[in-house]
Amino acid sequence: MLLLVVAFSIHGEDLPPVSQWIPADAPIMVEVSEPMALLGPLLSPEFGKSVTTELENGKANLKLQEFQGVVAAVELQLGTNWRTALSRLAGKGVSFCVDPSGATLLAVDGEDEKLLSKLNDIIWQFASSGADQQNQPETAASPNYRGVKTWKLGTNEVHALLGSRLVVGNRTSFLNKVLDLRAEAGGKTLASSALFKAAREAVGKEAVASVFLNLQTLRAAPGLKKALEEDGNPVTALLLSDTKAALRSASWFALGVYVSDDKLILKTYTDGAAPESAKWSSFSTPPEASADLLPPLKVPGTIASLSLYRDLHSFYAAKNTLFPERTSGLIFFENMMGIFFSGIDLTEGVLSEVRPDVRVVVAKQQYDPAVGTPATQIPAFAAVLRLKDSQRFGETVEEAWQKAIGLANFTRGQQALPGLIIDKANQDGVKYTFSYYRPPADKSPGTIDARYNYRPSLARPGDCVILSSTDALARDLIDALKKAPTAQAKASSAVNSLMEIEGSALSAILEANREPMVRKNMVDKGDSREKAESDIQMLLVALGHLDHATLTLRRDASRPQAQLEIRFK
Amino acid sequence: MKPDLNDPAWAWAPFQPDAARPWDLRLAAHLYRRAAFGGNWPELQRALSEGPQATVDRIVRPTPEAADFNRLYDDYENAAAASAGYGSQAWWLRRMIESPQPLQEQMTLFWHSYFGISNVHVKNNASLCRHTHVLRQRGMGSFEALLDAVLAQPAVWICLGAGADGKRRVSDNFARIVMEQYALGPGRCSDSDVHEGTRALSGWIVTQGELRFVPGEYDATPKKILGQEGDFDRKALVRILANHPATGHRLAQKLVRWFISDTTKPSDSLLAPLAKQLTGDGSMAKGVEMLLRSNLFFSAEAYRQKVRSPVELALGIIRPLEGRTGTVRLAADLAGLGQELYEPPTIQGWAGGLAWINPLTTLGRAKLAEALLAESGAYEGKLDPAAVAKRHGRATTDGGRQFLVELYLQGDLEAEALGALSAGASATGSVNTRAANPRQIAAGLASLPEFQLA
Repeated sequence: MLLLVVAFSIHGEDLPPVSQWIPADAPIMVEVSEPMALLGPLLSPEFGKSVTTELENGKANLKLQEFQGVVAAVELQLGTNWRTALSRLAGKGVSFCVDPSGATLLAVDGEDEKLLSKLNDIIWQFASSGADQQNQPETAASPNYRGVKTWKLGTNEVHALLGSRLVVGNRTSFLNKVLDLRAEAGGKTLASSALFKAAREAVGKEAVASVFLNLQTLRAAPGLKKALEEDGNPVTALLLSDTKAALRSASWFALGVYVSDDKLILKTYTDGAAPESAKWSSFSTPPEASADLLPPLKVPGTIASLSLYRDLHSFYAAKNTLFPERTSGLIFFENMMGIFFSGIDLTEGVLSEVRPDVRVVVAKQQYDPAVGTPATQIPAFAAVLRLKDSQRFGETVEEAWQKAIGLANFTRGQQALPGLIIDKANQDGVKYTFSYYRPPADKSPGTIDARYNYRPSLARPGDCVILSSTDALARDLIDALKKAPTAQAKASSAVNSLMEIEGSALSAILEANREPMVRKNMVDKGDSREKAESDIQMLLVALGHLDHATLTLRRDASRPQAQLEIRFK
Repeated sequence: MKPDLNDPAWAWAPFQPDAARPWDLRLAAHLYRRAAFGGNWPELQRALSEGPQATVDRIVRPTPEAADFNRLYDDYENAAAASAGYGSQAWWLRRMIESPQPLQEQMTLFWHSYFGISNVHVKNNASLCRHTHVLRQRGMGSFEALLDAVLAQPAVWICLGAGADGKRRVSDNFARIVMEQYALGPGRCSDSDVHEGTRALSGWIVTQGELRFVPGEYDATPKKILGQEGDFDRKALVRILANHPATGHRLAQKLVRWFISDTTKPSDSLLAPLAKQLTGDGSMAKGVEMLLRSNLFFSAEAYRQKVRSPVELALGIIRPLEGRTGTVRLAADLAGLGQELYEPPTIQGWAGGLAWINPLTTLGRAKLAEALLAESGAYEGKLDPAAVAKRHGRATTDGGRQFLVELYLQGDLEAEALGALSAGASATGSVNTRAANPRQIAAGLASLPEFQLA
């Protein structure tokens, strides 16, 4: 009788949000409230056909055939195509959570109870026969708990069907805890947790998916604890500013996923703020008045372009707070700067001459056919700085750069290695300095050394200084700076970092490095060549659909916030 | 059976199994451990059915696909050597795992330790990579050709301090290393011989990573080296050294230590027949073949009488399981255990033997075994003992456990340890999952003292 009552109640159950069944101490919760809005474009027959063709044309046939075989078998058993089945089985939401002990739970909400039951029957039949054949009765068992029938497939899987909701756990104890909370009203659930509520509110109802992290709990994990510690690395501190300090004081962190027209938008939220004691953090905070971030620069073949507000002078002036330990790397850096800048004080004499606008460009490079193409093609990269008084300080920078090249040549000479030849040229009225290695005399093109990826160059158009890994990129940047608007772009004064990535150029550079990537995969993972080629093809196909991505970092009421906008082709 | 080390005739006679020394899984696995980094199940079964001499034939004869395989891997290694990091060492480890001719890789490793050229001094992966190609290509031929090719490598001159600064005339120290360390053995030549050797090596300089001969810097006056007089240049010096009896003796000593035992101190009379095979018209291939076929090799004097080096330990885990793992991480882990490829610690190479073992490395070895065989983690669970056992008809828990014991340790497991491993089921009949997990069983076996011995 009890079973009948429970069965009826499950059947007709109006299912509450999954968070109402999850224990309040769960530190990780992922919710996809509108799976079809998120996956819709990927599930369209047109997209599927295009991906299939690309995979077949490439070398990803192994996985594709395997996957297609499984899909066809399931479609046959269910009596419907996989797109329809997915929509009816998971269209109303997918949730995933982790409890403090590491146990996990996946909940999938659909609208077709019968279809879910049918799928369960198919899986159960398959697992039971496999377990029988291998004489492993523990692999398939179906105990009941709180009147709910559960199925156990092996030692790390247990699941239950609750109406049109499938709940899958990796530990029986955790699933039972979830079933306890479902059965008894008034338990402490994640939905009633203040931290979770705050995170949900920040993410908003328009999000199609969200991730919640309880940092009070997670910070105890050694991995995260170590990641949030200040590591004394100046580059990390320069790029991330006080984000780590904010996360150290935060109770929660959330990620919201939104769909807007053809864009996917990911936004981060947290209640943590950098402490007032972190005075040095001002180096990445644009002052209210002068404010706007310069637009990222674009050149032909741009892969990524970055614009930052970083006051290098105030950053380095705070070095004793930032890097209390004088590492050998830092001492070496200061010694070198002392040599290059003829003993001028790095903080007050050099960095004080640089404006806080830093731009970085990464672009695909063209190789001179007479020289050859290295096996691994490293994109060209350049930093563009602005000087406060170019007339006065420009030549000091040029002198430092030439000393650096000279020192590199001297060191290479000591090792009997070829050095760089320094030359000057003119681009649209701007004189620039570049350096290059003599072309290899006795090697056929295509097998040249990796050093031919570099032709270090320096240019000083207007009040800017371009430090580029190649002369071609330096020339392109001279042209780009001439075309760039003189007025600064309108952006929120709170934005301190803006990065744009061009999907086509990124795909092109990866395609050019396909063979080195395949080889790297082989030795990194121990895969066969076929498997490595298949994996790289999958990656290239996936990236081939990326059109444009923009990453923005800002400080909102002293809280760091990141936003990533992705547009697909 | 205790061999008679004063009887060279018996020691070097081809091994013929008999009732006292039957050809069984233990000896087949012994042969594969020493000559091929470890055998997998089909290789061991084939060896059992074909007998010892036919198996040695199979191991020492170049296979038809070896040339293509080596060309492909030369290309992989060269490309990886263009950048810093463990890339080319990782490809070498992969080559050791996959090679259709693993004895060639054993010999390359032997010569790498013998010449002791280290990238700590050379600071050029590509140069070290070319050096190992030479060791591979020439490692089984005549020692004269090998030494000549080695001395044509810029990495050798840079490492020994004779080339990096472009000095026209090398120091006596360089000639001493070439003459004593690489050929005759310590104390086998006088200071005068060394000085004359230095003059024979004059004229060679390293510039822009290449070794070049500058005729004007060559000392062409007559020299007297080891009792011979003439206008000796580098090639002539190599010929004199390679054909000197002391060189054959030293090579024989080194090979016996590498293939037979860390501790055996063979007498001169025992070494003489092997030394003869290694000099004059002989070759390394002939010497190694003689060694692998011998009664001495299959005797108690050799069986489990060597401590596996970290490379041999890792490959001894991987190769029998017919799989492969990521080798970039493996190269770094092996460096942590004291064997960083491309970086032998001294010009004498790795000390080997008990020097591999200390409390820290013992723990490290067990951890490496665990990581290689874990279901996930750094090596991504690429090795799958259960699947291998199943492939060879041992699908059940007990069958799989027995299979792994035979594959990794044959009959060499103490009864107590075997009992502990066999306690798969508790008294209540429930399954002890740890004891039933093939990955943990394999890792446990690979951590045992018995497994540390080759």
